[in-house]
Amino acid sequence: MESDTVILVVEDDIILKKLLSRAFADQYNMLYANNGAEALALLDTQTPTLILLDLLMPDMDGFTFLEKVRARNDAVKSTPIIVVSNLGQQKDIDRVKALGVSAYLVKAEVSIDEITAKINEVLSTLPAK
Amino acid sequence: MRQKPRTDLGDAEAGWYATHMKLRNTLLIILGSFAVVGYGAALLFFRLLVATDPATPESALLNLLIFATLFLGLIALLAFLFFRLVGVPIRNLTTAMNAFAKQGVRVPIKISRLTPREIRMLIVTFVDLSERVEHSHARDTEISHVKSDFITTAAHQLRTPLTGIRWALEALEKSDTVSEEQRALIENAAEKSHQLVSIVGTLLNMSSIESGKHQYHFEAVDMPAFLKTVVADFDHMARERSVTLSYKENPHALPPVRADREQVRWVLNNIIENAIRYTPSGGSVTAWADMRDSLTLCVHVRDTGIGIPETDRSGIFERFYRASNAVSKENAGNGLGLYIARTIAADHGGDLSFSANDTKVGTTFTLSLPVAG
Repeated sequence: MESDTVILVVEDDIILKKLLSRAFADQYNMLYANNGAEALALLDTQTPTLILLDLLMPDMDGFTFLEKVRARNDAVKSTPIIVVSNLGQQKDIDRVKALGVSAYLVKAEVSIDEITAKINEVLSTLPAK
Repeated sequence: MRQKPRTDLGDAEAGWYATHMKLRNTLLIILGSFAVVGYGAALLFFRLLVATDPATPESALLNLLIFATLFLGLIALLAFLFFRLVGVPIRNLTTAMNAFAKQGVRVPIKISRLTPREIRMLIVTFVDLSERVEHSHARDTEISHVKSDFITTAAHQLRTPLTGIRWALEALEKSDTVSEEQRALIENAAEKSHQLVSIVGTLLNMSSIESGKHQYHFEAVDMPAFLKTVVADFDHMARERSVTLSYKENPHALPPVRADREQVRWVLNNIIENAIRYTPSGGSVTAWADMRDSLTLCVHVRDTGIGIPETDRSGIFERFYRASNAVSKENAGNGLGLYIARTIAADHGGDLSFSANDTKVGTTFTLSLPVAG
């Protein structure tokens, strides 16, 4: 168990959140937020290693959350973020890439294994603590 | 110097032109007035000189001249009035129509109390017409936005439960307590859910491309290398169906083409998948690239499949069209692929076509793309 790695999952769908956590909970420390606002609140006290971000959520969507994170002035600002969303249009991808994300995965088109592989890939590029 | 009336004026030019014209006209009017007055004075002078004897031929000639002058003067006056009352408003109307037609700009048209009623009606009718056109255009734009929002929302709404199904089945597949029979059922369900996801993606893509507003990301692409990787993706599928899939390398280096990688990949995926799908086991599918001419690169995919019947050939690129020998439970296509593929090819400035092989077995599809730069 990577005791240092904390993954924040920002996702409003309960079932999907459950399925994701099933796959990762053994390997990593997990944090969950239902939307952008909750996630921001969490960031006040925690600094996750990686964030899995959905885009369409109530209260504060993924785009706004991403903007706010990248506008910060602390360590959280450059947290690697993998967008996992069912929005797949080029304009959404462009909008998100302009703010800086490690990857954009369309939920319906990837398996959980592929998400795990991408997480490992991004984690391996991080500088050693 | 005679200037031809300009019909394609830009704003600044139109301004300069109008001022220039006004100046010229004013000068002409002033000079003309002087000439007329001078002429009139000369006539009057000579009239007075020969006033005493009305019977002489000079006198009759002079009377004729004065009469003719007055007559011509009247004609000139009428022509001038016509020009001012009819010609000018019509010219203003034409300028306004031109501005609206070419730039969509509404220019106010001056109407005075003296403008004849018919001309005024013409101008009012034009103003009404242009308002209607503007309104209709605004509505079309709005509808287009609403439609694209709907498609985006619908796609998202469809994908979310599909994701749930897919991931749940994957988790189930990994479980140890599943029997062989159950595993087969799970795999079947998973495959169907993948198909649904693929259809949603196709519909979304199609709607975007059909709207004509799809934003392509064109770049210079090395097509032989690209084609090779795309073909490699289908190795597994070909092997499963016992079809020999091969890529033939071109001995010459081919120039890069101007293409949107994602869309061209989609087209190639479609053609190659079709080729494999409709070729019975033991058959072969070959892909290669060559130049049709110095400006066009062609990608060919040749199969030894069931071919496309004569009667279906003209319709094969139409939406929802499936050839008579293609519709079977096994080949559950949706008839949209070739339609979109052809549209993408056309949007690239190329084309998608096919022909029956000269060996009488199978078909060769050809995608042509323009060379970059």
